[in-house]
Amino acid sequence: MSQEIDVSLVHVTKRFGDLTAVDDVSFDIPKGSFFSVLGPSGSGKTTILRMIAGFETPTSGDIYIGGERVNDVPPNKRRCNMVFQRLALFPMMNVLDNVTFGLRRRGGMSKAEMEKLAEDALARVGLQGLGKRKINQLSGGQQQRVALARSLVLDPTVLLLDEPLGSLDLKLRQAMKLELKHLQARMGTTFVYITHDQTIALAMSDTIAVINKGKIEQIAPPEVLYRRPATHFVASFVGENNKLLAGRVTRQVDDQVCEVDFGGIPMVGRMGDPLKPGDTVDLFIRPEMILLRPGKHEDGILGKITEINFDGSHSLVTVALTESSRPLAINVKLQHTEQAPDVAVGDIVTLSWRWDAANAFHPVDQSHIEKEA
Amino acid sequence: MWKRIKRARGLWLLLIPMLLWIGLLFVLPHVKLFILSFQERRGGAFTLDNYAAFFHKSLYTKVFIRTALFSIFTTLLTLLISFPAAFIITKVLGKKMKALLLLAIVLPYWVSELIQAFTWMVLFRETGVISYALQYLGITDHNIEFLYHNSTIVVGLVYTSILFMTIPIMNSLDTLDDSLIEASYDLGGNFWSTMREIIIPHAGPGIMVGSIMVFMLNLGNYVTVTLLGGKNSLWFTEAIYNQFIVRFNQNQGSAFGVILLTFSVIFVWIVLKITKQDLTEAM
Repeated sequence: MSQEIDVSLVHVTKRFGDLTAVDDVSFDIPKGSFFSVLGPSGSGKTTILRMIAGFETPTSGDIYIGGERVNDVPPNKRRCNMVFQRLALFPMMNVLDNVTFGLRRRGGMSKAEMEKLAEDALARVGLQGLGKRKINQLSGGQQQRVALARSLVLDPTVLLLDEPLGSLDLKLRQAMKLELKHLQARMGTTFVYITHDQTIALAMSDTIAVINKGKIEQIAPPEVLYRRPATHFVASFVGENNKLLAGRVTRQVDDQVCEVDFGGIPMVGRMGDPLKPGDTVDLFIRPEMILLRPGKHEDGILGKITEINFDGSHSLVTVALTESSRPLAINVKLQHTEQAPDVAVGDIVTLSWRWDAANAFHPVDQSHIEKEA
Repeated sequence: MWKRIKRARGLWLLLIPMLLWIGLLFVLPHVKLFILSFQERRGGAFTLDNYAAFFHKSLYTKVFIRTALFSIFTTLLTLLISFPAAFIITKVLGKKMKALLLLAIVLPYWVSELIQAFTWMVLFRETGVISYALQYLGITDHNIEFLYHNSTIVVGLVYTSILFMTIPIMNSLDTLDDSLIEASYDLGGNFWSTMREIIIPHAGPGIMVGSIMVFMLNLGNYVTVTLLGGKNSLWFTEAIYNQFIVRFNQNQGSAFGVILLTFSVIFVWIVLKITKQDLTEAM
């Protein structure tokens, strides 16, 4: 399958003095896709975006936009536009002048034509008729839309978004999230979205690149990222997880599945790293993929409920493992469906999960992960 | 809490020193000046002669126009020199260089204007540093007098007012979010269009405050103009000085003072109107 590539980074490295902000990063972004770069703050994701936009030059490596090498092309000559984190709307102009700004720079068009295009762009983001407003007369959500329209009116090859939803409140963020995705699907423009918010990245993206300490950890569609994390960092950063530390591999079931011993209790999981019996591993178990049955059952792990936290759509049940030789607790996300078991604190329950609900990795130095995640 | 502070009647007492200052040293003298300007020198009867003298003697009107034009020109020149400096200091340089350059701008003002003017004289006079340096380099073989030219006055005035232009512009540029500049470039803007559409409009109030201050300072300058311009400086303040001190004609001097004040107020008002700036906003 040959796919047209809109943005391509080839072994891109960026150093600021002693600090390596971006470390040998390569990826291709197919035309018309929604690509997210997900990472904790300070991971280098903003630097990547600023290099694509042209505000930073790579120390080494090449950047291509639409097949053209753009390392030496200044930002005002690149066929990509950016929606800034703090939007950077021009407060000295009204909405319409903000949107026509790029067209006026480009020239070769009458004022009426520019304003027609700008009105169209405003209509596309649901702001028709607000052209004469001043920027400070708009709500946060409306300002987001102006920032989008200001970039989209130029019909860029690539639209770069630097976490623009971060400043919105939860409800508005959810709404804008969907709207942005629909807009992208409708226009077919390639979006590159930078965020530290995995829920946004998982919900909107076709592909996500997880970055940590300047290095790419995994590039995959959201579902793959969630179900089959490639590294310890991805497993702990993306989604909610039970994280059990320092178990021992007892058996390799097949080329994907292994058995791990935690305090005398055998558990099953997918091998994230190549593992062999005797290896020390950390195990990440998705709380919503664990089956909780009341009472004792032979085919599972025995535990006692110590806490139940109601959270609307589900409850988070904390289960202390009764037969383990060291204190271990596992959180289970219980959906409030008809089949949901009726349990209370103090109940004895049995936990079990399919092998692909858990991922096992070699432990890494924990200190930095705790700090950054 | 704040309401309680606002309601406290004692707060107004704190304003009294300032009100006294303005009332006694600004309002009162100007009222007196205004009255004097409409009185005859002898007897004190009402007259318009003092103003008539200004319009009939072409020397006075010429000096006045000359002063006004030179003040405007010098203000523009100061703006032209100060704006790039303010921009570079606030937006381009790192913290250390910023502090250093700011110090370099402020430092000369630790010396009084009088001393500043004298140092210029040391440089510019016939037997001064520049004249000797030119001879030493073989560019000329005789002493050159740099003092007492129009250009010397302009150089001196620009020098004494750079600070008052640079600081307000720096203040306004400081509040300009750098991402606005980046956004302009991102949307296809270049240096000049970004300057014209983003940076200068944002700095507008600062430019206005600086220009008003510098214009007023130039218009009312006496020391620098007299010392660097000498007898030929023909600055309007000198005419006022002459009426008061040399000719003991307070009434004529007062009329000149009122004319100068009226002109500067009207001029500033017109400029504010033309540039669509609001004085309260600008300040």
